[in-house]
Amino acid sequence: MKLNTNIAFGILIICITSCGYMNKVSIYEPSTSISAFDKFPQKILFTSSDENGLWGIKNNNCKQVSFETKNSYIGRDHLHIKWDASQCNYIGIGLKWDNYKGKNLKPIIETAAIELRVRTDLGVLSNVPMFFILVDYGGKQCRANINFLELEDGKIDNNWRKIRIPLQSFNYQKRGVNMSNIKELRLEFQRSGDIHIDNIIIVSHEHNYTKTKDKFIKVFNSHPIQLGVGKEYWWGINTKYSSSIQFGNSFKNESVVINTDRTKDKPWDTFGFSPHQWMHVDISSIYRTSALKFKLKANELPKLQAILFAYTGNKRRLQKILDENHFIDNGSGIYEAYLPFKSLTGHDEFRWDDLKEIRFKIMDGTQFEIGDFQIIEFRGNPKKPTKWKRI
Amino acid sequence: MLCMSCALTAKSQLNKVEVKTNSLGNFELLRNGVPYYIKGAGAKDHFDLLVQSGANSIRVWSTNNKAFLDSAHQNGLTVTLGLYVRPERSGMDYNDEYAVKGQIEFLKNEVLKYKDHPALLVWGIGNEVDLRYSNFKVWETIEILAKFIKEVDPNHPTMTVIAGVDPAKAYYINKYCPSVDILGLNVYGSIENAGANLRKFNWDKPYIISEWGVNGPFEARTTSWKAKIEPPNGIKAEQRLRRYKELIEKDKERCLGSYCFLWGQKQESTATWHGMFLSNGNPTEAVDVMQFCWTGDWPQSRAPSIKDISLENISWRKDHILAPSSQATLKIDYQKYNNKKVIINYVLYPEAFSNKIGGDIQKSPEPLEFNIVSQSDNELTFVTPKEKGAYRIFAFVKNEKGQSSVANIPFLIQ
Repeated sequence: MKLNTNIAFGILIICITSCGYMNKVSIYEPSTSISAFDKFPQKILFTSSDENGLWGIKNNNCKQVSFETKNSYIGRDHLHIKWDASQCNYIGIGLKWDNYKGKNLKPIIETAAIELRVRTDLGVLSNVPMFFILVDYGGKQCRANINFLELEDGKIDNNWRKIRIPLQSFNYQKRGVNMSNIKELRLEFQRSGDIHIDNIIIVSHEHNYTKTKDKFIKVFNSHPIQLGVGKEYWWGINTKYSSSIQFGNSFKNESVVINTDRTKDKPWDTFGFSPHQWMHVDISSIYRTSALKFKLKANELPKLQAILFAYTGNKRRLQKILDENHFIDNGSGIYEAYLPFKSLTGHDEFRWDDLKEIRFKIMDGTQFEIGDFQIIEFRGNPKKPTKWKRI
Repeated sequence: MLCMSCALTAKSQLNKVEVKTNSLGNFELLRNGVPYYIKGAGAKDHFDLLVQSGANSIRVWSTNNKAFLDSAHQNGLTVTLGLYVRPERSGMDYNDEYAVKGQIEFLKNEVLKYKDHPALLVWGIGNEVDLRYSNFKVWETIEILAKFIKEVDPNHPTMTVIAGVDPAKAYYINKYCPSVDILGLNVYGSIENAGANLRKFNWDKPYIISEWGVNGPFEARTTSWKAKIEPPNGIKAEQRLRRYKELIEKDKERCLGSYCFLWGQKQESTATWHGMFLSNGNPTEAVDVMQFCWTGDWPQSRAPSIKDISLENISWRKDHILAPSSQATLKIDYQKYNNKKVIINYVLYPEAFSNKIGGDIQKSPEPLEFNIVSQSDNELTFVTPKEKGAYRIFAFVKNEKGQSSVANIPFLIQ
């Protein structure tokens, strides 16, 4: 027991004496690196008229600009603007922002925002038709507007409310603006309004939003392409109103049975489908070597008009009335049809990267089934589609 | 005191509006349990005349002016209230999460502001967001708002308004917007097949003709110098009447009513294309037509009606190319109806070319001075402008009450 006590005492002495040799170390060392935001030197755009230059402040029929000293947020005065754009094409003012020195916003583009204070004299607004425009030294401009998410308490009233415009929200990429050499900030006003503005500064800001990718585009680069898979992508078939066109089942994929009543004034004689789920279908890389192929079950060939639609472009519609040259008789009333895309008049002007719909109008013929639509490879003579040996 | 109490009751009265199927299997709108067929107009003023003409509702396109709702309510009109969902063509990027969320939160706030307004009939979520769009993600925004409305405002149905119908739009709205109760259709020339097409395109819910009228400038024939050719008021009035009687009113199964366009005035290619009033506030014969549509009776005092107009004996349907500083004769053919006296005047404008679409704001040109050589009841001889360019001459015929009819002809000086 005595031995144990001596050992413990010894350890204690060693510990106490050794403490004298320890250096003081704080738990959190201050970082020696300075953030890009801290380094950015031109954080003030406007705090008062005597310190920060503006242009476009001359009054006219459409705008009245004044610097008011009463009830400013910061500094000697603040900006008060009343505008009515009904008589003018453009209403704006510019902030010289460090006397037009080039500003490099690139390092802070993801971590900073323009912040300003805004108030009204009377009334409550939740939106102001006001836009923020960054102009580079090449004269290119990008813009952003006030987003409700960055409007303090979701309103502008007679208290100074904070608004932030994240630098990320400017469409600088789309407009090709050089964000490393920004000349000035412009404020553009539309419709009409009356607001007070003060303390326009650059602040540190986290912008946690991304841009998603287009999800409604389907690109096809190879053959064959099965078309119109899924009944929900078809139209013209509604048995509540007409039994003229109904889904069939004679073929491997979707088909419709036509039984047109031509005695009616406006017979249901048209149906269509999306090539792929009503997306923007892109077959631009293969359309020149492609043909529409489908099957037909009939006692007698009907007269059909095939129509292709694009979502965009000057020429949005291509059409062709099919004749016997488009069909191969496989016997037993089964036909195969081939429509090379290059045979369609105007195919060069058509947006093959934005194909929308394939539609058929039954011009003559009353009873048949049509289906199993595909885009197949076709390298034959477009004028003699069924003469190509490969089909 | 009693009046004040009535006013307060009216203000606080919450009206329940529902879409139901009646015993005939037809869709109908019920307001406080009573069938409510919309006899409406896209309108921001002239509410008194609207009510007098037999209308019961207005449609406005955004929530930026509460006064419309209050004023409509005071006049006994209901309101289809638009939530302005920014269309892609205005620069909105539906892949930009920040912009999308900001817009949604803003509009949710607007819903909360207006949901208990007694004039509110139907929410109109977005107007023509489909016009020249490419990103179908916009339908996700429409659904988020429609679903939010279902949560916070079970008293008013939801509608989204599209610029004409096609199978792709019908598919996307069906798939992405299950909380949308009604489809709103802005249809001008395409009204002719709208009802049938909806059935073909698998839309099995009801619809409202949310904008309709005469064929729009975007559907009109143009001259060789790209000026739009506008039919005279008399022809447009006949077109309105036929479309209401034969297309809108006849679809009892699906159509919940309509809003004619435009109970007011705006510049859209010309100052008189869609507006049923002139820029000076005078009503045109289109107002009389709407009264007949809504009530079955023509007004006692009817506007005169210009049925035809020609320049140098060439019909308004053709191109008119004239020499500078030469004399030209404009003729009009109009019906006076029961007016003893009509007043005719003519105004010359420079052509207002615009590439704006979808009802986007266009600026009106200023009138030009010109010399009149002679003028009779139905004929004007004038001196053409000396400057080469595109012009448009308007003929206005009005009765002593100011009820008017107008027609115009574009012409080119070269």
